[in-house]
Amino acid sequence: MASGSSGEQGGKEPTGGAGFVSPKTVALYGVLTALTAAITFVTFVPFAPTKGYFNMGDSMVFFSAFAFGWRAGAICGGVGSAAADVLLGSGYFAPYTLVAKGSEGLVAGLIDRSGNGKRWIRIIAISVGGACMVATYFLSELYLLDVGWGAAIAEVPGNIIQVIVGGTVGSLLAWYVRKAYPTRSRA
Amino acid sequence: MTRFDDLYTEADTFLHRLDPRVKIFSVLLLSLLAFVLSHLLSLILLLSFIFLLLLLARARYSKTLFALKFVLRFMALIAVLWPIFDPSGTPVLARLGPVTITEPAIWRGITSAVRVGCLATVWYILMFTTSQRDLVRALVKLGLRFDFGLTLAIALRFFPAFGSVMESIIDAQRARGMEFEKGGVLTRSRRYVAVLGPAIVTALRTADTLSLALESRAYGARKDRTYLRDLRMSGGDYVALSIAIALLVVPAVARFAFEVPI
Repeated sequence: MASGSSGEQGGKEPTGGAGFVSPKTVALYGVLTALTAAITFVTFVPFAPTKGYFNMGDSMVFFSAFAFGWRAGAICGGVGSAAADVLLGSGYFAPYTLVAKGSEGLVAGLIDRSGNGKRWIRIIAISVGGACMVATYFLSELYLLDVGWGAAIAEVPGNIIQVIVGGTVGSLLAWYVRKAYPTRSRA
Repeated sequence: MTRFDDLYTEADTFLHRLDPRVKIFSVLLLSLLAFVLSHLLSLILLLSFIFLLLLLARARYSKTLFALKFVLRFMALIAVLWPIFDPSGTPVLARLGPVTITEPAIWRGITSAVRVGCLATVWYILMFTTSQRDLVRALVKLGLRFDFGLTLAIALRFFPAFGSVMESIIDAQRARGMEFEKGGVLTRSRRYVAVLGPAIVTALRTADTLSLALESRAYGARKDRTYLRDLRMSGGDYVALSIAIALLVVPAVARFAFEVPI
């Protein structure tokens, strides 16, 4: 499946090339980004009032950050969630999502790196990263989209639940994947 | 669960033929225009202009409705909640304990809802008329590094694939007796762990094969890449770009330099 689809991607001109990012990283980040977007899309439960869905996308953000480092958390979380927004038809949210979920993955990954997998450091990482996400959404809805206090506050509880669920699920998954693929996780 | 449907629709309208870079710029300019306009009537005018463009792009009703579903809910929420949290203005309509509802606040709420509607629908022009390949190519042409563009292209390409992988995993778990439709948010999301695990394993395997495929196609042999069909701006593209710029600049100058209330 993989080779066929990449043939479709660069089908017209098979020679790609750029010096810096290794093919392993390009493939891993691309696939993780796609998975983040797909999970956001498939697991939505109509819940949060403003965007109309509660989703497990955050679990992928935390998973990427804990299993593959802060860079993966920032890129896969931010770009994947923003792509899901665009593909779901709420593209005006995409720039804010990019910053919100990107900073969530970045901060969670950075804090977790100093912890060597200690449980309380991971909890701090989830809460600080989640706070970044909730605050970014709240402030950008209030000041940049100018939706008023009511709509901005209405979104906060849903986002907090999303962080709690996503953080728990994401760190569990990361723990399992690190155990199963000890070498891959430091790619 | 919603079935994934690519927003892009194949057609041959002038919006489809337009250079994707011009479309990206025009969407950004029109988004800025929604912030420049502050009067309800002019925002409604902008919204109807956007819908006219969507009509010209031959957007399918089913796709437009699917996309509008999320936006309309958000717009209604803004219009309802704004007056409750904004007690300023003089003609007070109702007073319920600490909540004061005034007439200007209601209008401000509706104005903000229409502005969000403009910001949301203007994206559809881009998404309905530009294929993902053109979008990524335009971003690379605008200065995004090629390898980042490739990552983005892989992500967009694999998004529907993983969507269907997850749906078959859900079906497999359902065949074993797992119920995804019952229970509260927390119970339901705990059940999704049984879906996420296999999905991640599939993704990691795909990433391994994909990196082999990339290497076998000499990815990384040179720092840039060549294209069979290059993007080139034609006369019509420049005309469309200048129209979009004029659409932003004229109202902005009118409002900020001559203080016309629009």
